[in-house]
Amino acid sequence: MKKTGLILLLLLLVLPAAVRADDFEQLRKDSAHIATISADFVQKKSMKILSIPLISEGKFFYAAPASIRWEYQKPLRSVIISGPGATRRYIASGGKMIEDKTGGAQAMKIVFDEVAGWMSGKFNSNSAFTATLKEGPVTQITLKPSGKNMAGMIEKIEITISRKDRSVQSVRLVENANAETRIDFQHVVINQGIHPSVFQDVQ
Amino acid sequence: MKGLLVLIAACLLASCAALPQVLPPAGSAEKNIRCPSPFLAEKTRLIHTIEVRTSDETKTVMIGVTLMDPFSRTITCALMSAEGMTLFEAVRGPEGMVVSRAFPPFDAADFAVHMMDDIELIFLAPQGLPAKKGVLAGGDQICRWHKTQGGWMEVSAGRDGRMKVHRYSEGGDLKRAVTLAADAANPYSTILLQASDLVNYALVMTLIQSESVGDKPGLKESLP
Repeated sequence: MKKTGLILLLLLLVLPAAVRADDFEQLRKDSAHIATISADFVQKKSMKILSIPLISEGKFFYAAPASIRWEYQKPLRSVIISGPGATRRYIASGGKMIEDKTGGAQAMKIVFDEVAGWMSGKFNSNSAFTATLKEGPVTQITLKPSGKNMAGMIEKIEITISRKDRSVQSVRLVENANAETRIDFQHVVINQGIHPSVFQDVQ
Repeated sequence: MKGLLVLIAACLLASCAALPQVLPPAGSAEKNIRCPSPFLAEKTRLIHTIEVRTSDETKTVMIGVTLMDPFSRTITCALMSAEGMTLFEAVRGPEGMVVSRAFPPFDAADFAVHMMDDIELIFLAPQGLPAKKGVLAGGDQICRWHKTQGGWMEVSAGRDGRMKVHRYSEGGDLKRAVTLAADAANPYSTILLQASDLVNYALVMTLIQSESVGDKPGLKESLP
């Protein structure tokens, strides 16, 4: 009886992990058809110092395996172009786009490599986060920092995925109890050709 | 004793040597001069884009949120990346300063103090009575304060309506020069701050939103 109880306990401990792995593997297979994504996005930044969220709007482009253009159109125009080689960040200044020289772009590369992974259904491949998956009307992935590297920076990231085409619908990045950023993707177009210059030229 | 007094007087004279000369106003008494005041008169929240320049080259652009209470002289501020990540958050008031978030390079020693000093210089009226009132050689009206913690502060208004705020060291070295928009309704729509320090830099701030924070909060202005 004691032995059976132990086996049951082990099964209970091991089984959810196995299910999680299968779910993430399935999600990855379901997302394999995604070659390109283009979308508009609305970003709402909430924090204690703000009475209402600060709203930013922009456009998002993705091409597998890892090309991203993340462009804010207002209130501050900025463009991040990230690819397998490098990440560059441009900001509007004096009517033209100039490259950010602070080295912040390299920090952004870590983020945008992660985002590129999400677009192709890879949510549990980064050991810096522990990923959990919940199925409902939409698929919800929660990423929590697993180490101390991101302590005080990010509490968790919640990503909702369309059950229909497996595209990312929204990202909620919780910094702490008083600050979070929510990004909602709209007018999502999947697998329509995107000209390569989108991932090279700032314009 | 007399020698010491002469020495102190000489030191005081020497300390003001680099400050611009304030001339007596023509045709009106000094006491009738009204000091230019762009400063906030009520609790206000402002959101600006902040362009950071060194050597005449733009290095980066951030978003700055400042909430200021001119009555208690409490400043709450946050710096965000264009992508919305909070990089720095702090509050300074009569109780002192609390930095609740500071990622590199904003975690550097004294960054918070210098930043709060700059915000105070731009938005909050100087305390006490001016040490001098008058006009500059070009005709701009000017008031000068001697700060209790040392150094000098000047507020001047040009004929084009543009107001300037300057901070000098005790020895008269120009440390900060703030030029505000020539917009009587909202001088904080654009702000240029030039800093002369160990590293010279300039901040160009462009208003996104301003909001009076009273019983009925509401957006006063929203620029595209």
